[in-house]
Amino acid sequence: MLEDSGFVDVVIGPPVDTFGGSQGEEKARSYEVFGYAFLARKPA
Amino acid sequence: MTDVLVDADALREQVKEKYREVALDPDATFHFHTGRTQAARLGYEPAAVDALPDRAVESFAGVGNPFSLRRLDTAERVVDVGSGAGFDSFIAAGQVGSAGSVVGVDMTDEMLEKSRHTAASLGVTHVEFRDGLAESLPVEDGWADAVISNGVINLCADKKAVFAEIFRVLRPGGRLQIADIANGRPVPPEALRDIDLWTG
Repeated sequence: MLEDSGFVDVVIGPPVDTFGGSQGEEKARSYEVFGYAFLARKPA
Repeated sequence: MTDVLVDADALREQVKEKYREVALDPDATFHFHTGRTQAARLGYEPAAVDALPDRAVESFAGVGNPFSLRRLDTAERVVDVGSGAGFDSFIAAGQVGSAGSVVGVDMTDEMLEKSRHTAASLGVTHVEFRDGLAESLPVEDGWADAVISNGVINLCADKKAVFAEIFRVLRPGGRLQIADIANGRPVPPEALRDIDLWTG
């Protein structure tokens, strides 16, 4: 979606178990939900 | 065929209600982690977090670290989409320094009150918080060197509109550096249309 929006040089960081140990953990596990960092650039 | 699966206004009201709770009662139990524990879990620099008052950290509900792939540069102009109680905006303010500028945008009154109060109490003058939506940011075209966000875009019904708006406020060559959630397994269509599942 980032590239479809015009961004380039998209980098995605490693997954983070952001819901681990929280009340939302079970639901997050069922859909393999993780947090990610995204870096992208608007073309010059 | 539209990519917007739920009623955007109804979802927005539900998100506001959830984050109103996070602002007013940050020690309550939510389906996500909050506060200093979550900041440590996500790898924020301890010294930067320790320097902030509880009021700036306790309602933090991010899902990742938008600064983990790249720090901001000194004197940069930054927009924080869905700034909440201001945690990431204050981290950004520390990275860009007083020669830089940070604009946090949020739609929840209680979060805005909290972030503005913290900015005033810290005497930070290069951070301001504006009332607005991710889909229509109150920022002029091409103003920002970087746009940050943390756990917000997944809560927006029209993600293409949000990315288009981020693109608009960035200068040519500017950066998007956000954190958000993504699922490895497909979510059933009926679940995607269940607005209650978006916030809980």
